[in-house]
Amino acid sequence: MSGMELFQIWIMAFFTLAIFSFLYKDNPIYRFAEHLYAGVSVGYYIGLYWDTVIVQQLWVPLTQSKVPEYWLAVPGIMGVLMFSRLSSKYSWMARIGLAFIMGNTAGVFLLSQLHGNVIGQMQGTMSPQMANGSPNAALTAIVVLGVIATLIYFYFSKEHTGALGVTAKVGIWFIMISFGAHFGYTVMGRISLLIGRVYFLYTDWIGSFSQIF
Amino acid sequence: MNIWQRMSSIDRHYVYLLVAATVIFPLIVPAHFPIGISPEARQLYEAVDSLPEGSVVLLTFDMYANNLAETEPIARAALYHLFRKNLKVVTVTTIPFGGPSIAERITRELAAKYHKTYGVDYVNLGYKPNYVSVLKGMGSSIESIYPTDNSSTPLAQLPLMQTVKNYADMKFIYVVADNGIVDYWISIVQAQYGIRVGCGVTSVMAPKLYAYVGSGQMTGLLGGMKGAAEYELLVGKEGLAVTGMGIQSLVHLLIIALIFIGNLGFFMEKRRAARAKS
Repeated sequence: MSGMELFQIWIMAFFTLAIFSFLYKDNPIYRFAEHLYAGVSVGYYIGLYWDTVIVQQLWVPLTQSKVPEYWLAVPGIMGVLMFSRLSSKYSWMARIGLAFIMGNTAGVFLLSQLHGNVIGQMQGTMSPQMANGSPNAALTAIVVLGVIATLIYFYFSKEHTGALGVTAKVGIWFIMISFGAHFGYTVMGRISLLIGRVYFLYTDWIGSFSQIF
Repeated sequence: MNIWQRMSSIDRHYVYLLVAATVIFPLIVPAHFPIGISPEARQLYEAVDSLPEGSVVLLTFDMYANNLAETEPIARAALYHLFRKNLKVVTVTTIPFGGPSIAERITRELAAKYHKTYGVDYVNLGYKPNYVSVLKGMGSSIESIYPTDNSSTPLAQLPLMQTVKNYADMKFIYVVADNGIVDYWISIVQAQYGIRVGCGVTSVMAPKLYAYVGSGQMTGLLGGMKGAAEYELLVGKEGLAVTGMGIQSLVHLLIIALIFIGNLGFFMEKRRAARAKS
């Protein structure tokens, strides 16, 4: 292990322990680590977007390619106009770029969401559910009932009484089971992250002691 | 304070200490619990395993560094499987903060281990901003989105990329992600270009994505460390995820015990108070 690798491991271990120190109580070492992380992140993002967007996708094709792509000046100008928000007099100019982004995003996502979520999920709900490679009537009935009951729970134009109320209550059960699954998975995810950090401290950091001491 | 009150109000610092001890102890004395293989993990494994030798697979590293404990074991097991099957691997990332360097580190390390040549057996295209444009653009021309690879080598100089021009030249997309980008791999790429997409994601994301597996839009799913452990077992390469699942199971048992103790204390104290009142 090189000196630089050792240095990196110790830096990583220091910041891991600094963040964990918050579990005892808020303290200056935790705050130092937190602020440094936020600062480094912002600095990294600025440098990254400068290079990958401004330089690679605007400046180079505009000025250094064999056939200059002059049309890129239009989005470039719209990007600059975004900064007009800083002036109360000219802030309206930022709307040009924003309108373009909104229109473009709506157009792209309308199609993709329709294809990916609306039609695909409707097909999936209507098709027979499979279990061990063959259609399963009970599973299909549960899915259809769950979807209808959950949708009815979110139907607020009529008071939830009678049959509508019973169905909405069934819907709540399905929603709660879904929340439970999400919560269980979230606990597992957080424990996984803790295992990852402790594993690093145990194998890499404590493992590096033998090279130093 | 009686015993029931104490049970329902254990100081959180003791809980942290107990969790820490439960995580550290199995690292010294490993704990083994059985790991069942889910149908979704098997589906993903079989989809990759059935690909003909030499097929091109797009492996995405859509991950931040802070979720590596869950995503790295998935990416490693996936890459091991792809290399073992002699599949050609193209890697990309839509995440700037960690994605490119993680992809570079893991692919270079495993490629060296399995004697794979850069440019011939695998290529790392790296990161480009604006994931919607990237995902859509690669459908018509990868080179228009990625004129160079992650090391600034023009694609024209990479033999593998002479045969891979867009999604039509790929057989499978293996998404390893820790964020909402998975939705776009499904809604933009799978839905519009018809290519099969399988995913390995963090635990937090997994429940929502089962709907895509059920509808047939996603070919297999690995959820968090459990999914990674399942895949490690399927490919026969046990790593951090299998080790971690032993610890995971112990911590879950501890959490169940703490929930039980807290609730028992709460209800017993409530009962005692009601009796004292009457």
